[in-house]
Amino acid sequence: MISDKLKKILLVDDDIDLLEQNKLLLESKGFSVVTAESGKEGWEIFQKERPNAVIVDLIMEQMDSGFVLCHKIKKSSYGKSIPVFMLTSATYETGFKFSAATKEEKEWIKCDGIIHKPVVVEELISKLENYVEATH
Amino acid sequence: MVVQNSKSNILIVEDEKGLRLGTQRLLEEEGYAVSAAENGNEGIKLGTSKEFDIAVIDLRMPDIDGLEVLKEIKNVYPNTVCFIATAFASYETAIQATRIGAYGYIPKPFTPEEFIYQIEQGIKQRELILSAERLKKEREENLFELASEKSRLNAIIKSINEGVLVLNKNGELAYYNYAALKYLNIREINIGENVIDKLPSKIVAVVKTIFSNDTFLLKTYTVQIEIKPNNELILEAACTPVPHPDGSLAGVVVTLGNITEFKKIEVIKSQFVSMVAHEMKTPLAAVQGFLNIIVDDTINVEKEKRKDYLKRSIVRLKSLTDLVNDLLDISRMELRTKHREIENIKVKDILSNVLQMLELEIKKKNITVQKNIEEKLPAIQADQNDITRIISNLLSNAIKYNKENGSIGIKLGSSPNYLILQISDTGIGMKPEERSKLFSEFYRIKNDRTRGISGTGLGLSIVKRIVESYHGKIEVDSQFEVGTTFTINLPINLN
Repeated sequence: MISDKLKKILLVDDDIDLLEQNKLLLESKGFSVVTAESGKEGWEIFQKERPNAVIVDLIMEQMDSGFVLCHKIKKSSYGKSIPVFMLTSATYETGFKFSAATKEEKEWIKCDGIIHKPVVVEELISKLENYVEATH
Repeated sequence: MVVQNSKSNILIVEDEKGLRLGTQRLLEEEGYAVSAAENGNEGIKLGTSKEFDIAVIDLRMPDIDGLEVLKEIKNVYPNTVCFIATAFASYETAIQATRIGAYGYIPKPFTPEEFIYQIEQGIKQRELILSAERLKKEREENLFELASEKSRLNAIIKSINEGVLVLNKNGELAYYNYAALKYLNIREINIGENVIDKLPSKIVAVVKTIFSNDTFLLKTYTVQIEIKPNNELILEAACTPVPHPDGSLAGVVVTLGNITEFKKIEVIKSQFVSMVAHEMKTPLAAVQGFLNIIVDDTINVEKEKRKDYLKRSIVRLKSLTDLVNDLLDISRMELRTKHREIENIKVKDILSNVLQMLELEIKKKNITVQKNIEEKLPAIQADQNDITRIISNLLSNAIKYNKENGSIGIKLGSSPNYLILQISDTGIGMKPEERSKLFSEFYRIKNDRTRGISGTGLGLSIVKRIVESYHGKIEVDSQFEVGTTFTINLPINLN
């Protein structure tokens, strides 16, 4: 059963194929999903829809990258209390070395966790649930 | 009389006119070449202007002392045999004159015989000096070869760019060059000093390993050391055991090479690999995602949607294929220059072929093509495939980034040395900051205007590589939201 605290999820990704897939997967598990294709659009929808969780693609090669959006959300009074996860295909193997394992890293990256592509939806859901359990 | 091969040169410094002229005439009659000076200053001037065999100097002259003249001449020509002539001979001046370098004393007054006898003694002395000098020089020349071999080797090691340190078994410095001090940032070091504390720990560890083994292999151990942070100075230290003639360990020679540039290239290479991996991973993830959804029975997807997902998978796979092809092109280009099939080609013909190839896409967007092609264009020497690649990459960009109902201008002309191709579009244009990164690998301008336009981000970088491999030039001019013009200059004659 999905808790009310995780009902609505905002997905932000500039790859429309991946965006649609993840939306479909989460919807098939009973979530309600809103999407945005850019950081700018993501910020607008975040304010309007007030989702229970946000998943942002790291590399959105526009002026508003995933980093900027995460910062903005985590700095807002509403965003502070909801889980914000970063989605990326950048891994240790591809040379981009970062994780959000320690408190310092989370503070620096301004998100509550990293999810690697390709997304395994069960893993994603369990990460969101763990977060909600741990913080409430 | 002394037999002379050539006339001996004699200088007479004498203020008394009668005596000066008399001795001069006497010596000339004996076959000597004589120069005379009538005072001390003139004596110095003459005696130091060329090397005399003999100089006879009067002790008392009105201007300066004869000893002063002696000193000046000996200073310049130590092998000139000098006599002091004086009527006021004293023991003290004799000693003083000898100390300064006078060969002998001629007391005044003297008879012609006495005088000539003294001069002849002087000539003998002069010959002894000269032959001793010759012997010394010969010996020096022989020794010089030996000494210079050693110093040449020393000079080479001192001046090479590699740092060299030689340590004995106790870790004491046996030899070093300045490059080693510079690389290791050591200010002062002395032969014989124990330098273990002054060396980077990584080198010390290797050196100690070599020393700790009783038996050693003549094998070089290398370590890389970051001397300055942020990869500013990276050294490779190669440590090799040095054996005694009997085979036991004498010490270690450490050579230090600067591998900073090499490391930088390595970083660029691995960054490139990361970027490639990332660029490939994204379309793969998209295809995998669609296929997972289609095979998942728990997700209900309508038949139409399923077909849409398969079509979109095909598009992503196509982009992956394009990417692989572009990458192969780049790697081929790095290796290829030699395998090019250079022939005389007409760019005009290639242009028509490419336009034909892209006809469908041009029609789809309803783009007008305006051609302005100079008549009687010279042929250029190039590989047909290269020129086709340049034109097709530029034209397909001009189509992709153009507006519906836009136009493409193609100008083909020449200057005395170059063929000039210009392709302009009425597309979305670029901002200056976008333009500067245009030719970088994987750089694609991403914004609302470019969404939905596919590409590998390698096309222009390939064009630039080809153009530059022919010693040509590519320029871009662009106005945001108005259009972009690419101009290519290709040399007509490769030679």
